[in-house]
Amino acid sequence: MHDYDAIVVGAGNGGLAAGAALAQSGLKVLMLERHNIPGGSATTFCRGRFEFEVALHQLSDMGTPERPGTLRTLLDSLGVLDEVSFVSMEDLYRVVIPDRLDVTLPVDRQGVVDTLQERFPAEKEAIKKFFDLVYGYGLELYSFYRNPGGEVERFPLLKRYAFRTAGEVMDEFFQDPLLKAVPGAYWGYIGLTPNRLPFSYLSLLYVSYIEMLPCHVRGGSQSLSNAMFNRFLSLGGEAKFNCGAKKIVVRDGVATGVLTDRGEEISARFIVSNASKVATFTDLIDPGEVPKAIFEGMKGRTPSPSSFNIYMGLDCEPGEVGITASTTTILPDEDMSDRHFNQMRRLDTENSVMGFSCYDVADPTFSPPGTCQVALLTLRYAEPWLRVPPSQYAAEKYRCAEAMLRQMERVCPGVRDHIEEIEVATPLTFMRYLNSPYGAIYGFEQYMKDSLFFEASRQMPIKGLYLAGGWVTDCGFAPTIKSGVSAAGAILRQAG
Amino acid sequence: MIPEALKNFDRFQDVVKEMEICRKYGMDYSLEKGDVGKFINRYHPSSLDLRMAELIPRTLDTKTIRLVSQDGYLPPFQAGQYISVAVEVDGIRTSRPYSLSSPPNQTGYYDITVRRVADGLVSNYLLDELKPGDLLRTSGPEGHFYYNPLFHDQTMVCLAGGNGVTPFMSMIQQIVDCGLERTVYLFLGSPDLGQALFHDRLTAIAARHENIHYVPVIENPPEGYKGRGGLITGDLIQQVVGEVSGKTFYICGPQAMYDFCLPQLEHMGVPARKIRKEAYGPPLRVWEQAGWPYAVKPQDAFEVRVKGGGSFSAPAGETLLTSLEKNGLLVPSLCRSGECSQCRVKLLAGKVFQPAGTPVRRSDAKFGYVHSCVSYPLENLEILL
Repeated sequence: MHDYDAIVVGAGNGGLAAGAALAQSGLKVLMLERHNIPGGSATTFCRGRFEFEVALHQLSDMGTPERPGTLRTLLDSLGVLDEVSFVSMEDLYRVVIPDRLDVTLPVDRQGVVDTLQERFPAEKEAIKKFFDLVYGYGLELYSFYRNPGGEVERFPLLKRYAFRTAGEVMDEFFQDPLLKAVPGAYWGYIGLTPNRLPFSYLSLLYVSYIEMLPCHVRGGSQSLSNAMFNRFLSLGGEAKFNCGAKKIVVRDGVATGVLTDRGEEISARFIVSNASKVATFTDLIDPGEVPKAIFEGMKGRTPSPSSFNIYMGLDCEPGEVGITASTTTILPDEDMSDRHFNQMRRLDTENSVMGFSCYDVADPTFSPPGTCQVALLTLRYAEPWLRVPPSQYAAEKYRCAEAMLRQMERVCPGVRDHIEEIEVATPLTFMRYLNSPYGAIYGFEQYMKDSLFFEASRQMPIKGLYLAGGWVTDCGFAPTIKSGVSAAGAILRQAG
Repeated sequence: MIPEALKNFDRFQDVVKEMEICRKYGMDYSLEKGDVGKFINRYHPSSLDLRMAELIPRTLDTKTIRLVSQDGYLPPFQAGQYISVAVEVDGIRTSRPYSLSSPPNQTGYYDITVRRVADGLVSNYLLDELKPGDLLRTSGPEGHFYYNPLFHDQTMVCLAGGNGVTPFMSMIQQIVDCGLERTVYLFLGSPDLGQALFHDRLTAIAARHENIHYVPVIENPPEGYKGRGGLITGDLIQQVVGEVSGKTFYICGPQAMYDFCLPQLEHMGVPARKIRKEAYGPPLRVWEQAGWPYAVKPQDAFEVRVKGGGSFSAPAGETLLTSLEKNGLLVPSLCRSGECSQCRVKLLAGKVFQPAGTPVRRSDAKFGYVHSCVSYPLENLEILL
């Protein structure tokens, strides 16, 4: 007899969704979380009078109550929709190259085309055709997902563009490098520069954000995490906080329970690991119990970049320092070559691509009256940070943050004079809190060979073990919540 | 099971080939076992077991406890940060935060400087029971009370009360040891000169370094005392530092000092963003604070049920964290001032009093998460640990 039907290791989006879905189906579930709150990346933290959003920039796939997206449907099925409220953002994003380009795209297909046509009249026709392709491709992708069978002629656009990079497609359509910079700026959402980013992701980003509206959670992503956890509890779920898993116990190819870091061994028929795939198999399971196929399968995959973030509380309204959009990308120039990719491997943040979110633009109640907050970030691989001598860490952190603030000041003059609180997170910070290899924030990288056409099978060679979270398929809120629900679904099918 | 159509996409074979090559020559993750922990422990070990090297008397009732690492390595810190010291006194396992009074450039040891407190549980244990050679379990360095070059001014006006001078001692020593381009005005409030912690050293440093200004402010100065007397008022600060613009203010001391000094700074026109406050323990006599229900007396006891494990009785006038510890339930804690959120627990039923300004997140308030170090039971409670 097992102590529980299922144990969920980690209360991130994936773990919470899995836990709630399992408890909802009447299973006896225990959730273990090493931190003292649920949420994982989906969290907020306080400094002074500010509550900073850690991870969420724009929620995708929400849609509206009348036209619900996948995420809304999932949250509804988990019974948490009534506990959370959402704010939709009016802009897709703003792209700025100081002194040369400043474009804000609205959340509307025709609006995007009009905005770009007005700024780049010489390429009017090409702009229309490009977005026809983005949408046409997106639609084919959805139908391929539903049913990939039949002849290739069913998917003429996929046939031609599925294995092209966003950069190649833009080169085919556009002349002006400044114009290419506008769709190109979307790369930060996936973590691969346009010359490596599969066009599929660019198409999906546009179609899903425009059609399903970019949203934010009122009160920050912690509200969503707390709501999911509360739902789990109210369904009879049990949880232990400040209690990590030391080991997932596997005997003869079957996961049988969890050894907690308090030294208790708890048995269960099913284990859901919300730890990264890498941590699950290298740190949590005895090497002798991990089938070779697991490491073979992961071998071709690389961890995504981590991030260098500056969370700022400003004692002014966003407009006072020139913040006009919820999401802004600052490009140092229109260069879409390897330079920006290589920059992610360096410590220096000078002349980097960076983005910032200001939730107060869409939701003036997000920060205290008369204030706003900014999350400024640039994607970075952790490697150089691992080589910084600890005694120099703080100095390096400030030096890199200083360079980013200087660059932001070119777009938001005077921002520095309004800083009331600031907190800097480096790739090491993400490594500490996410426990992910190299502080990766997007799971595995999504090169062409890893893209959605080749998603790894969910079938686990260890019986009873299931994964949830950003290392399963894609990263982000909607995909991780979906991964948890899918893991629960697989367990329920197994449990019969 | 690759769909036929996919195989006929342009470049499909190229992508498959790339996949095979990457699988062949890619990363062997099995070699990375324990790597994340190894790197993170250099900065944020879950705990440190330090050896007490020396006990250095400072004033009549304060001593510096010098702590060294057993393997020679101490995580780095920023001047102004603290460590939390875990002890077991009279069978109660608890912890207290102490600012590091040694500078970060001194990598050989951490100093904490402890003052004897009447009825103090931990301070007096550390001063009386701990002997050189003993091991002490601490946290790594924590806290947000430090000079931040991204937005703080290079001129620091530091207001210290009593033992609140310890973080400033660390900052000042680092500035003079490392020749940093910063100017410090330190106002140290003390009942008398004899209790002014680090008085001699600060006097000597200020005499040698023109960027360090040390102003002891003696509450009850003896007859004929030539220095500053009374409290640290706005007028006094302004007389010494002049213009308030271009300066960042730091304050660390007992609660009474915040109550007195913060309005003075506000009156001087110092904007909120220029005032950095160190957390300094739970409020004294919390039941006298606005919002405390008249009907509840501090000695009133309530039942606290822990979900899935037992119950105990907790007085309203004592923090939930302390009551948990007294009943053998260990909750992680660091600042014990409501700020760091380490001791957060979830209330499943019942109500607690939390002082105004405790930084709890909006959704935490909605879903019942409280910082147990500044939460006082007002009813019977059920909690989730």
